[in-house]
Amino acid sequence: MDVNKLVRMANQIAANLDDGKNPQRAIDGTVDHLKRFWTPAMRRQIVEHYRQGSNGEEVIELSFIAAQAVARLAEEQQQATA
Amino acid sequence: MSAAFQPYRRARDFGTPKRESQRQVTLTIDGVTVTVPEGTTVLRAAAEAGINIPKLCATDSLEPFGSCRLCLVEIQGAKGLPASCTTEVREGMVVTTQSKRLADVRRNVMELYISDHPLDCLTCPTNGDCELQDMAGAVGLREVRYGYDGANHFGAKKDESNPYFTFDPTKCIVCSRCVRACEEIQGTFALTIDGRGFASKVAASQNQPFLDSECVSCGACVQACPTATLTEKSLIELGQPEHYVVTTCAYCGVGCSFRAEMKGEQVVKMVPNKDGHANHGHSCVKGRFAFGYATHKDRITKPMIRNSIHEPWKEVSWEEAISFTAKKFKEIQAKYGRHAIGGITSSRCTNEETYLVQKLVRAAFGNNNVDTCARVCHSPTGYGLKTTLGESAGTQAFDSVMKADVIMVIGANPPDAHPVFASQLKRRVRQGAKLIVVDPRATDLVRSPHIEADYHLALRPGTNVAVLNAMAHVIISEGLEDKEFIAARCERDAYEDWRAFILEERNSPEAVEKESGVPAETIRGAARLYASAPNAAIYYGLGVSEHSQGSTAVMAIANLAMCTGNLGREGVGVNPLRGQNNVQGSCDMGSFPHELPGYRHVSDPNVRKLFEQDWNVTIDPEPGLRIPNMFDAAIAGTFKGLYVQGEDVAQSDPDLNHVAKALSSLECMVVQDLFLNETAKFAHVFLPGSSFLEKNGTFTNAERRISRVRKVMKPLAGYEDWEVTQLLANAMGYPMSYSHPREIMEEIARLTPTFAGVSYEKLDELGSIQWPCNEKAPQGTPTMHVEEFVRGKGLFRVTPYVPTDERTNSKYPLLLTTGRILSQYNVGAQTRRTANVAWHSEDVLEIHPHDAEQRGIQTGDWVGLKSRAGETVLRALVTERVMPGVVYTTFHHPESGANVVTTDNSDWATNCPEYKVTAVQAYKVEKLSDWQQRFQSFTEQQLEFLRKARAGSEEAVG
Repeated sequence: MDVNKLVRMANQIAANLDDGKNPQRAIDGTVDHLKRFWTPAMRRQIVEHYRQGSNGEEVIELSFIAAQAVARLAEEQQQATA
Repeated sequence: MSAAFQPYRRARDFGTPKRESQRQVTLTIDGVTVTVPEGTTVLRAAAEAGINIPKLCATDSLEPFGSCRLCLVEIQGAKGLPASCTTEVREGMVVTTQSKRLADVRRNVMELYISDHPLDCLTCPTNGDCELQDMAGAVGLREVRYGYDGANHFGAKKDESNPYFTFDPTKCIVCSRCVRACEEIQGTFALTIDGRGFASKVAASQNQPFLDSECVSCGACVQACPTATLTEKSLIELGQPEHYVVTTCAYCGVGCSFRAEMKGEQVVKMVPNKDGHANHGHSCVKGRFAFGYATHKDRITKPMIRNSIHEPWKEVSWEEAISFTAKKFKEIQAKYGRHAIGGITSSRCTNEETYLVQKLVRAAFGNNNVDTCARVCHSPTGYGLKTTLGESAGTQAFDSVMKADVIMVIGANPPDAHPVFASQLKRRVRQGAKLIVVDPRATDLVRSPHIEADYHLALRPGTNVAVLNAMAHVIISEGLEDKEFIAARCERDAYEDWRAFILEERNSPEAVEKESGVPAETIRGAARLYASAPNAAIYYGLGVSEHSQGSTAVMAIANLAMCTGNLGREGVGVNPLRGQNNVQGSCDMGSFPHELPGYRHVSDPNVRKLFEQDWNVTIDPEPGLRIPNMFDAAIAGTFKGLYVQGEDVAQSDPDLNHVAKALSSLECMVVQDLFLNETAKFAHVFLPGSSFLEKNGTFTNAERRISRVRKVMKPLAGYEDWEVTQLLANAMGYPMSYSHPREIMEEIARLTPTFAGVSYEKLDELGSIQWPCNEKAPQGTPTMHVEEFVRGKGLFRVTPYVPTDERTNSKYPLLLTTGRILSQYNVGAQTRRTANVAWHSEDVLEIHPHDAEQRGIQTGDWVGLKSRAGETVLRALVTERVMPGVVYTTFHHPESGANVVTTDNSDWATNCPEYKVTAVQAYKVEKLSDWQQRFQSFTEQQLEFLRKARAGSEEAVG
């Protein structure tokens, strides 16, 4: 799938769960949302993108909270495969 | 035939409406002791005791009028002969309904009526079902001493302008039932009595033909008419029905109950059911008249297949079509993996059918790639209400509005999209309830005859959350909240967090004014009005959900209701108005990729176990693809097969160029539908669907009301839709063997706690049931969250306003918002194939005079409409209904291409598309857009492929 779209969606989720006061809660909420509503393939793809970067293509950047959430997913995926 | 078939008879009429009172009154009528609630009329009390007093101007759907003088009675101790329809019962009253004196008076009255009435009973369309004829018989009229040569109305001209009914003034007795029905029931005030005395006559608007008048063709006047003055054209053509079947309308989310009045397998007319719990005998132009699509010549009744969408169709047997599909799907899964196929359930099909499609996907396809068109309308309602209140559904029954003191309508246009509920809402407003309308457009609820909103918050599209937050800010900062309710019913920590958030300056009306365009004082006034009402109710529609912040707006609405204690009783609540007939049901039935029936997440092992044991399969614990994800995955090459039942994603979904690209990427696309719709033009398999008249099942309306759909004719193509899904499941290797939808409902009840008490037997007995229906609530649940919320304590969620990315700029300076119109329904596949096109034959672009003038645009001009997604051309309608900077159109006609222009922006939580906000430019043009020209040639080619298939089968037969 178009990774830009996934990044945009993740950023939107993060922005809407962020009350500006409690970033940890926003990160937890984003992780939970991605697990509850995204397919494993979509989660894998955004994690892959997070790990490898843009490969030279023009991509939208993950926001701070979205990036933290995706990092958490990456960690969990690594633990699961370890 | 089944017991659902009733011999035709006119519905019982008690003369005047039922009254409710704690006090009972006992009287004697013709020697019979009768006890009725205080306020009941003598006419009704008699009717309830089985005593039928002659009447003409009285009917139990209308308030008493007292004009015909036929229902006169004698009352002991009273002077003269009072009209029983306008005389209320009194304790100890002694009434006589039949005497020589009364008989003489009634006969004289009838004699006068008949002296100016054509005596063509034998050839009259209502012969055998005419109240005037009945009364002539009842009073024993034997002669008309005045003759027929005096002044009369025999030469009056018939008005046949309305496509569905005629108005024959020669037969009118000026009883005013039609005029009163238009006022009291429909609330449109299109009819009047023009002139005085003998010259009095019924007139539509300013003495105009019905079609040109303000009449909305709801049929209430036709239903109320006691003669053949207002008569359905279908009845004139076909004659009286011989039996009827009670069923449920397949149009909007109001879910009106109808009597399908039949001649064999032919529908003579659809008549709103007086006992219908959602509509109480009322209807709209769609449900009442627009049923002709079901037998339209465009119906496809033979299965068809092809290997490529660039090839002609081939008509085949059901066996061949099903085995072709199963083979393709299995090949795709073998080549690309289990997750490469999926299905889309329909919000127009029955509960049983949607349940079966999601079961097919989860059990036979072995994944959770199932979604429904609720994705593109009310998925934010599911998310937002589940999060805050604990259940993904509206909180009230429609009737609850009659106890509301303040009604707030946000992003909904009930007079067009939910007309029968709109009539009820307007009735309550006429009784004195206050009205707040939050909408960028000046809809009919803002101002129309006898309706004027107390506040119209004409906000800029995309700023719902800002305005709702500002209202909550006013309530909290001015101490208008219901502290007791909050303390007793809601989670404390979450409330404190929300309270701190909402009091921030960024949420004040003054801060929000610039962004939303709504003056701070208007927001303050509306918030105070909402918070100070004993009962305040919120109704909302797709103008709330179809935004990048749809889910946030739903939660902001729930926050407003919780902080003012407006939940858990009649007259209050949070009420999503569902677009299509079974949006609620399709969501309830587990159509979302992350939820099993009853809104239970697939990751819950206990829930999965329950279904796994019953279905004898393993269920994937991970969520599947949503519709927009399916399209993206198709373009990416990982999603290859799709089964679509009763949906038209190639017209209804946003960014149609993207949708077309996705559908063209599929290796096997299966469409099950009534017509070769836009989506079917991209299909490899066409499975003929069945209309609501051809099948058994249930629909669930916007108030959680489950009602029976009953088969009145054989399926044109041989199978009901659920049977086709079952054939496909069996061919895929997953056995299904239901013999009737009743058995599917038994399974739903067995596996879904909120449906545990639902059965066809109980539906037959009660007429309809509002879920939850289980041991705790065996008769169903009209009002939810009474003692506590479904989730226990209500949850305030912080709702930051995050502006949409879709913003105007110098290139796209206008905001496009889309919506519906009364006479057409959704993609129009049904209503475009009826005479409803008389009212709306094309989609037009509404544009404010200021914006139009700047661009040199006049009403009727071709206007190009361009966004970053695409470009189309529509005719302009210059109007002040839209504010400057905003343009509006509908999406009922595929060639209009409204959704070529809408973008892939979507709700953050649910991917519900942002149909309501698209930055566009509009400019005068001379010809159709490139897209429209491509659309035309593609459509012509696909119709040619269909013609070839049909010609092929005729040759084969010949």
